[in-house]
Amino acid sequence: MDGYKPQQLSTYALTLFNYKTEVNKQSVSVDFWDTAGQERFNNMHPSYYHQAHACVIVFDATRKITYKNLPDWLKELREYRPEIPCLCAANKIDADPNVTKRSFGFAKKHNMPFYYVSASEGTNVVKLFKDAIKAAVAYKNNPTDFMDEIMMELENFELETDKSKEDKEEVSDSGLDSPKSHTDDKPDS
Amino acid sequence: MGDGDEYLLKKCGLKFDPPSLVLAYVDMKTNKLRRRTMPLRDFHKNSKLEEFITELKSAKHGQFVKLIPRGQLVRLLTIVKDKLNGMSLEASLARNSELEKIDPEENLNKVDDETLQRKKLQMDALFEKNRKKPGDPGFEYDIEVDFENQVKIESSGWDSDGSDPEF
Repeated sequence: MDGYKPQQLSTYALTLFNYKTEVNKQSVSVDFWDTAGQERFNNMHPSYYHQAHACVIVFDATRKITYKNLPDWLKELREYRPEIPCLCAANKIDADPNVTKRSFGFAKKHNMPFYYVSASEGTNVVKLFKDAIKAAVAYKNNPTDFMDEIMMELENFELETDKSKEDKEEVSDSGLDSPKSHTDDKPDS
Repeated sequence: MGDGDEYLLKKCGLKFDPPSLVLAYVDMKTNKLRRRTMPLRDFHKNSKLEEFITELKSAKHGQFVKLIPRGQLVRLLTIVKDKLNGMSLEASLARNSELEKIDPEENLNKVDDETLQRKKLQMDALFEKNRKKPGDPGFEYDIEVDFENQVKIESSGWDSDGSDPEF
């Protein structure tokens, strides 16, 4: 994924990556929104949720508290984006490979795809992001949220002059780590 | 290539009078063990660590300072700072160990900035240690491993302690 253009706007505690790819032979422009430490304020700025088409929610498999915080983050997400696809990842499987033998009920309970990943070694990182992009595009093409339907109507109205699709994906970290270190890794490569 | 190939860091430590960093490293060109003492001039009890480290790295001994892993450098400078603030060495060592301890139950969103920084540095060190980046031997761009369909021998135990009704 050579197309990532990291952009750090520290004033706004915002890290954006743009990534161009194709889904079903359709060109797609993806904006990744990194949480960039905002979780310190106990909630994300509403702009993070605005027109997001997918969410990746991550916990640290070596720290239980980050798992226990997932319901709160999901709750906040659903207040803004009740319908968008959300994918769940257990990070840091490199630190303790045994976690991949354990089951985590949260994702299943909320019907989310679940991934065991290592941002450090790269395990399942590309897979997670590819799936997230696919889910985002599918959702955007067939939104079930009222506001999204309106947005799509407006977009169709503006017509096919703009061929690229803009998708926004939020990367939520559930908390505590340097979210950058999770997401910069692969995208920069 | 970079400095990292010219010198191999063996040890680092502190002197208090005057406050100095001390390094033992191998000069790879001559294969000799060297020792270098770097006085921490202009380091005060109110110095900001981040800024001070940036300055150190661009100053005279910069290429040697860069050999020290960041977490360790922050720890050493914090000990000097504690000392300048009148703390005993023992108390400072205990405080620093506490700052670096990772408690899986501790919500790091609720700790003060210094604590968060120090714990992040510990986690970053693990990240760097296991990290495979482009150009590294064994680097693969897309590593897919299907753990999901493996038989789960146990539950994580994180769902069932009853502490959260959401689970």
